[in-house]
Amino acid sequence: MGKIIEILSQYGPDLLSGLFLTVQLVTLAAILGFLLAIPVALGRLSKNPLIFGLTSAYSMFFRGTPLLIQLFLVYYGLGQFEFIRDSILWPILREAYVCALITFVLNTAAYTGEVVRGGILAVPKGEIEAAKAHGMSSFTAYRYIILPRAFSICLPAYSNEVIILLKGTALASTITMMELMGVSQLAASRTFMPIQVFAIAGILYYLLTLTITRLFALLEARFTKYITHAR
Amino acid sequence: MDGGARTPQLALEVSDLHKSYGAHQVLKGISLQAENRDVVAILGSSGSGKSTFLRCINLLETPTKGAVRVDGELIKMTESRGEPAPADHKQVERIRSKLAMVFQQFNLWQHLTIRENVTIAQVKVLGRSEEEAIAKAEAMMEKVGVADKRNHYPSQLSGGQQQRVAIARALAMDPEVMLFDEPTSALDPELVNEVLKVMRSLAEEGRTMLVVTHETGFAREAANKLLFLHQGLVEESGDPREAMANPQSERFRQFLTGNLK
Repeated sequence: MGKIIEILSQYGPDLLSGLFLTVQLVTLAAILGFLLAIPVALGRLSKNPLIFGLTSAYSMFFRGTPLLIQLFLVYYGLGQFEFIRDSILWPILREAYVCALITFVLNTAAYTGEVVRGGILAVPKGEIEAAKAHGMSSFTAYRYIILPRAFSICLPAYSNEVIILLKGTALASTITMMELMGVSQLAASRTFMPIQVFAIAGILYYLLTLTITRLFALLEARFTKYITHAR
Repeated sequence: MDGGARTPQLALEVSDLHKSYGAHQVLKGISLQAENRDVVAILGSSGSGKSTFLRCINLLETPTKGAVRVDGELIKMTESRGEPAPADHKQVERIRSKLAMVFQQFNLWQHLTIRENVTIAQVKVLGRSEEEAIAKAEAMMEKVGVADKRNHYPSQLSGGQQQRVAIARALAMDPEVMLFDEPTSALDPELVNEVLKVMRSLAEEGRTMLVVTHETGFAREAANKLLFLHQGLVEESGDPREAMANPQSERFRQFLTGNLK
C-alpha cells in the first residue's frame, strides 16, 4: 500500500495526463469512426460493384490485420513516400498523435461499419416499404427511418466496439504516445515497481470501461425506449 | 407516351398488368379502372396474386408488363439490364405519396411516436410545415380514434389500434387513392371490427379505395366494385352484391362457400 501511495504521489499527475490523453483519443476516434462507419456500412450494402469492392477491401484490410501493424504502417510508413513528406500536410502527418488518431479512426470504422451494417439489415423490411409507400426518397428513408432505427438496434454491439477501442489505444504507447499505457511503462521502469504501476493502470482502464458502459446504458435508455416501453 | 390518352375522370387505371418472378407468372394480365369515390374489393384465395397486384400499383413490386395511370398520369417505365424498371424515381415518389398504402402488418415506424408516425411523411415528403402537419395529424388521429395515444410508441398499442394509426398516417397524405393490403388479416378476431368500422366510414365519405381482403362482408356492404382473382387473372368482376349473390364462375362460387364455412 505504501508503495502505491509512493507511486501516486510521484507519478499521479503523469498518470492523470495519460488518462486524459487516452480519454481524448477514445472519444475522438469513437466519434469520427462512427461517422465514417455509416458510409462504410452503406458501401458494403451497395449494389454498385465498385463502391462495394472498395469499401469491402478497406473493411477487410483493417479487420484482417493487427492494429499494431496498422499503427506502424501509418507512423513509420507515411514518411517513406516523398510526395507525403513534401506535402503541406507533412508537419501534421508526422505527429505521433495524428498517426495514432488516423489509425484508430480507420480501424474502429471498419469494425463499426459491420455493426452498423448489421443494424441496417435488422430494420424490418415492412417499415422500409412503408417509407417508400409514403413517397419517401431513399435519402429521406435512410435519414429519418432506417438509420435512426438501425442506430438503436446496433447500440449494444457498438458499446462493445468502443470498449475494444479503449484497449486498443494502449498500443499508441509503441509510437511514443504518453497516454495511460505509455506513462505507466515509464513509471514502471523508473520505480522498478511494475506490478503496482500496472495494477493502477489496469484499475484506471477498468474505470474507463465502466464509464463507457454507463454512457451507453444512458444512450440505450434514450434511444430504445420505444422497445422497453412495451415490456 | 406523353399522357396523351389522359382520362381525368379515372382516379386509377391499370391495364394489362403482368408480373413474373423468373419463370413463375404471378399476374397474367389484370386491368382495373377506378373512378373517384369507387371502393374496389379485391378478393382471391392465397396465391391468387391479389397482394402482388396491389403492390405493383405503387411500384413496391415492379410490373413485368402493363401500364398504371394515377389521376390520368402514366407511370413511366424503362428497362435496366434487361429488367423493367421505373424511369423516373421522382415521379414514382410523387405518385406513391398520392397512393397511400395500409399494410397487413401495419408497418408503423417503431422508433417514432404515434403522432410522429402521422406527421413525418407530411413534412419530409409533402413539405408541409410542422404546425400544419401536426394539425392534420391530430384531425386524422381523432377521426380513427387514436388521438389519446399520440405520445405512445407503436409497440404499446394493440394491433387494431396500430392499424388505425396506419390508416391515419395514410389519410394524412391526402391521397387520391388508398390501397389496403389485407388490413385485417393480422388482427385478432375481436379487433377486426374496429378497423373495418373505420374503413366503412372512409368508404361512406367517398374515399377512393382499393381493398385486398378476405372480409366478404366488407366487400358486399362497403364496396361498389368487385374483382375476384384466380391464378393471376380476373376470374369474376362486377357489382359485389350481384356477383356474390349469383357468382358466374365456378372458382368464385367455391371461394365464397369455402369462406362462409
